[in-house]
Amino acid sequence: MFNAQRPNLDDLPTNRQLIRATLVAAISASALLVAVILPSEYGVDPTGAGRALGLTQMGEIKVQLAEETAQNAAADAVAAQAPALAKVEQAAGGSVQPVAAPPKVPLASEADGRTDTTRLTLAPGEGAEVKFKASKGARVVFNWSVEGGHVNYDTHADAPGISYHGYGKGRASTGEQGDLVAAFDGSHGWFWRNRSGAPVTIMLRTEGAYSEIKRVV
Amino acid sequence: MDHSEGGSSIGQLLALGAILILMGYWRRTSSFMRHAFAANTILMAAGFVLVGYQLVGFAVA
Repeated sequence: MFNAQRPNLDDLPTNRQLIRATLVAAISASALLVAVILPSEYGVDPTGAGRALGLTQMGEIKVQLAEETAQNAAADAVAAQAPALAKVEQAAGGSVQPVAAPPKVPLASEADGRTDTTRLTLAPGEGAEVKFKASKGARVVFNWSVEGGHVNYDTHADAPGISYHGYGKGRASTGEQGDLVAAFDGSHGWFWRNRSGAPVTIMLRTEGAYSEIKRVV
Repeated sequence: MDHSEGGSSIGQLLALGAILILMGYWRRTSSFMRHAFAANTILMAAGFVLVGYQLVGFAVA
């Protein structure tokens, strides 16, 4: 297909112009990479410009999150292998007894309701997760506060077959309160990460119809 | 990329069709050669940025 006039040779850029344009492109690309992109993506900041712009912190957070994701994936892989191994050992032992299901928590104890205070300290950059077990529709009144700084939080739930159900999240919070109604039978709770420069203490009070509250991460 | 393969193909067709029309007008302007040269230089710079981003990512990992 030919639908364009051939440009006049005099209109085309000269070799000199082309080489100059290539060099300009390469130099501006390197400057942009070193000052902006490497700090904000990888926390690599040879000039210090990224830290002055606040981009290195962003890169460091990304690197830290990637490491934690890799660690979690490795831990999950180990956990997934463990029951399989147990089954193999059982088969080798000749026992045909099925694995007993864990005893179900009686509903009565959940309905009674309980009160807990959970306290934890987080170093800068550290994250933690506290979860309680509750049945669908259970109402838990909560109140948490941060001393010494602020945290980012993500209130969410999971259950076998449901990896994430969000109730809400926020940044730079010094405390939240309210009530959480379990969306399904499973683990419900809070993830916090200390995004302030100093260690913080989180005090969580919970009251309601749940069983077992503990720090899971 | 998109949720449905067909949806993203139709979207590409529509976008590229519109771009073709606009570029046809662009080429008819008297300043086209200058602008095209500048646009190509910017595209080159963007390409160098992506190359550096990938190579450093490979080196860091």
